[in-house]
Amino acid sequence: MADKKYALVTGGSRGIGRAICIALASELNYPVLINYQSNIQAAEETRDIIVAGGGEAELIQFDVSNGAETHAALANWKDQHPESIIEVIVNNAGVARDGLFLWMENDDWTTVINTSLNGFYHVTKPLMQDVLRQRYGRIINIVSVSGVKGTPGQTNYSAAKAGLIGATKALAQEIAKRNVTVNAVAPGFIETDMTHTLDEKELKKLIPLNRFGKAEEVADLVCFLASKKASYITGEVININGGIYS
Amino acid sequence: MSRDEIIDITNKFLIEEFEVESEVVQPEANLKDSLDLDSLDYVDLVVIIESNFGIKLESKDFTDVNTFNDLYDLIGSKLHAIA
Repeated sequence: MADKKYALVTGGSRGIGRAICIALASELNYPVLINYQSNIQAAEETRDIIVAGGGEAELIQFDVSNGAETHAALANWKDQHPESIIEVIVNNAGVARDGLFLWMENDDWTTVINTSLNGFYHVTKPLMQDVLRQRYGRIINIVSVSGVKGTPGQTNYSAAKAGLIGATKALAQEIAKRNVTVNAVAPGFIETDMTHTLDEKELKKLIPLNRFGKAEEVADLVCFLASKKASYITGEVININGGIYS
Repeated sequence: MSRDEIIDITNKFLIEEFEVESEVVQPEANLKDSLDLDSLDYVDLVVIIESNFGIKLESKDFTDVNTFNDLYDLIGSKLHAIA
């Protein structure tokens, strides 16, 4: 048995990822591995918030879209923590490169797919053996309302997130026998850096609850799925979008 | 490492890991059926072989492994490759 059980959150430095890191540390007492790609300052802030609240957190830098880099960073961490295991994996890292499909550059397509969809593979696969051996684990993929119903102007993002939903459902069935659950959380409009340029006043007319959601609300849902209370839920996509029909 | 040593070590951890009686492990018996392995159990099999023998295995290595003898052969060939 592993001495210490960690939760890893990709893209954990800001926005929804930061809120998830904080919630996993405070609600479930997990030591949290905060992954960041480039914004070390934001990642350190997240860590400081957790530590100030009495929790434990470490930073781990890698770009999820880069398979070799991700693999090396995780292997290095495992070498330094031979008695520990990452038993909660939250695949949250994502980028948006919005635009009409007609004008979409190759780079905008591949960057989004590489981060959201390939990133899931790069991060989750090297950690699978440990959770399967342990016969317990939680994999939570942060998808989007765009991946569930499609959003015009986000063909790339919708495709990446829909792909991740398919992977969630398939992997859930593949490894359920080992008590490892795989679920997806699909947020709608959440107040973050990614949505701060949007016209909230106009968009909230589309939302039955008449407001954008908060990152902490998404984090609460992720925390529930990461907890033992959610032991019988797997292969699900849980929408958290204020009632937008999806 | 001799073949007999490989067989002894392998049988010991197979019996322990998969909780079977020693009579179940016969050289020409079918590995999968005898140990009641499903596809995920191969994860455990790979991990214990790697940790006991210090070799690396991939899923494709098991393509031609049907009997316990085949498994001993596989381990022997991998050990030979790194010797």
